[in-house]
Amino acid sequence: MKCGFCGREIPADHVQQSCGLCKGGCRKIHCPYCGHENPATPAYLRRLAEKKEANSQTHQEDDHS
Amino acid sequence: MSETQLSHGQRKIILVGNPNVGKSVLFNSLTGAYTTVSNYPGTSVEVSRGHCDIDGERYEVLDTPGMYALLPITEEERVARTILLEEDPRVVVHVLAARNIERMLPMTLQLIEAGLPVLLVVNILDEAESVGMSIDIPLLQEKLGIPVVGAALGRRRGLAEIRAAIAAFDPLLRARFAYAADLERDIARVAMLLHGDYRLDRRALALLLLQKDEEIHQRVLTVEEERREAIDNVVKDIVFERRVDLHLRISLERKRVCKGLLDGVVSQRQGQGPTLGERLSNWTMNPWTGVPLLLAVLYFGLYQFVGGFGAGTIVDLFEGRLFEEIINPWVVDLGARYLPWNWLYELLVGEYGIFTLGVRYAVAIVLPIVGTFFIAFSVIEDTGYFPRLAMLVDRLFKRIGLNGRAVIPLVLGFGCDTMATIVTRTLETVRERIIATILLALAIPCSAQLGVILGLLSEVPGSLLVWSLTLAVIFLFIGFLSARMVPGEQPMFYMEIPPLRMPQPRNVLVKTLTRMQWYFLEIFPLFILASVMLWAGKMTGALDWLVKAMSPAMLALGLPTEVSAAFIFGFFRRDFGAAGLYDLQSAGLLNPVQLTVAAVTLTLFVPCVAQFLVMFKERGGKVAAGIFVFVTLLAFSVGWGLNRLLLFTGVLS
Repeated sequence: MKCGFCGREIPADHVQQSCGLCKGGCRKIHCPYCGHENPATPAYLRRLAEKKEANSQTHQEDDHS
Repeated sequence: MSETQLSHGQRKIILVGNPNVGKSVLFNSLTGAYTTVSNYPGTSVEVSRGHCDIDGERYEVLDTPGMYALLPITEEERVARTILLEEDPRVVVHVLAARNIERMLPMTLQLIEAGLPVLLVVNILDEAESVGMSIDIPLLQEKLGIPVVGAALGRRRGLAEIRAAIAAFDPLLRARFAYAADLERDIARVAMLLHGDYRLDRRALALLLLQKDEEIHQRVLTVEEERREAIDNVVKDIVFERRVDLHLRISLERKRVCKGLLDGVVSQRQGQGPTLGERLSNWTMNPWTGVPLLLAVLYFGLYQFVGGFGAGTIVDLFEGRLFEEIINPWVVDLGARYLPWNWLYELLVGEYGIFTLGVRYAVAIVLPIVGTFFIAFSVIEDTGYFPRLAMLVDRLFKRIGLNGRAVIPLVLGFGCDTMATIVTRTLETVRERIIATILLALAIPCSAQLGVILGLLSEVPGSLLVWSLTLAVIFLFIGFLSARMVPGEQPMFYMEIPPLRMPQPRNVLVKTLTRMQWYFLEIFPLFILASVMLWAGKMTGALDWLVKAMSPAMLALGLPTEVSAAFIFGFFRRDFGAAGLYDLQSAGLLNPVQLTVAAVTLTLFVPCVAQFLVMFKERGGKVAAGIFVFVTLLAFSVGWGLNRLLLFTGVLS
């Protein structure tokens, strides 16, 4: 997933890790580059998010509007 | 025969670059179908290996995980760098995306200054050309002093040239780029002490040591047994002398060199100047245009959408119609008929009942507000506006002891102050963390509190303006004061700005739904818990006692004693308190002055229990208790002063 603040790609294994601060399971992913708190995509939305990521990879770095 | 034995003695090609630039496409094109993917030894990071034959020579090809710089932050980057350090490459192919060449070229520079045999592939040229961008590849090659190939690997364009460049690669080719004289002097001071045998160039090692790269530090200490103390001393001296701006200087120097390299190399077709996105991006960071744009974002995103639509239209529908007219009367009637015990009746459907207070606040008042806030936040986040906001406010934030980096926790604070307090740990110095924690506890309302207050105050002309101005003045004044009173350094801020993009509906939907789920799973139970505690307080008489104890403070603020309840609610959760205020206003208990004073005091008032506990954990007991007392006293003092001022001037009366 891409960080919502700095736009960098958060590595897959980092996405699966919890920082351990929140009791009862963490639902946020802190970007290792800038510290921004990104919401962890729940299982039922993962397919939608993966489609999104597949699309963004197809367009690669085509980010300019 | 094992993979290691197979690859022994073979020349190696290592592919490096940012994620999503086409490294894997190149890897597959070079190696074909027979590749292996395995975890890099001692890590869980996968590395792909394959083989290819170029001009009769067999090569092993390694596809490394994405990396942004030679100084690693993530495990993936660490593995990618270890591969560069350990695998003795014949050629390091740096793949970058043509449209982002300015952002990605600094890594090429780092690879070159590390003394690695670099071949640069400027990929996805077709997309760059489609927007009128032209890159003079031969000129770039001449300026960089290494082989450069233009490619569009998705279309197999440039593949033959890459293979030819690998075959003809001259490992003796070495380019060198100079930084500013003072920086070069410091680099040389460290580099001249390094006498061991290293894979990386001494100059690159010196730079990594100065940037506190722990892995390189350990390697150097192992190799330089006799000189380790001298090296450590020199590094410490330089790091101390440049403690404010070392990283910034290095980044800016690399940017400067890259700018020079790209001068005349990259051009835009005539008549096709900067795109609208690029122009808009510049406007957002220029103070003259950035501030009006920020005000527009706040007006349309927060005031109109969250305050007007969320806290107004949807809350009216949910609270006013659905709960007050249909659900609540039905549930209360049901309770009256089937719940014979008063305590159970009170617990479920009484004044502070789980359903009549907890569920109603969470679902009918706060949910529509945080929902609309999450939509607005996700749209703004997806455009890439936040890093531009960080650059815009950097200068102002420096005056209050922070810098642009603090935009992350402060912006997140508008979502949830508790989580934002945890995020303050990403700030570089203790001083910044303390100042940001104070400001979060004091002057940054969370989304639901902000939404309810916007909804309430927007109905009273002038009230919202007084509230906004008071909070802005307090934010700046306390920040300014903290910057002078809290000792410590103020580091510089610099970040790579990602491209501005059109928000993608799918991204916004996923992020909003994810945050809404977080709200339901983590916050909704707290509302229920708070209503149970209030019920217990009511049944035991403790709540009445607390309300009476706070009455003198309420009277001093010119507020009816009933407002005490909202303050007590607010300590459970900020938004719970704001919802309490909503109820009082709906009951017609507050005039415009009282509403404004209550909203200001409640916003500034102590953070909720969860935020206080996180403050305690992150900043320590002493600092947390100090902030708690300071914020409480200041909130009531400001409320008292504002009440006097409004009554004296007749504003809002």
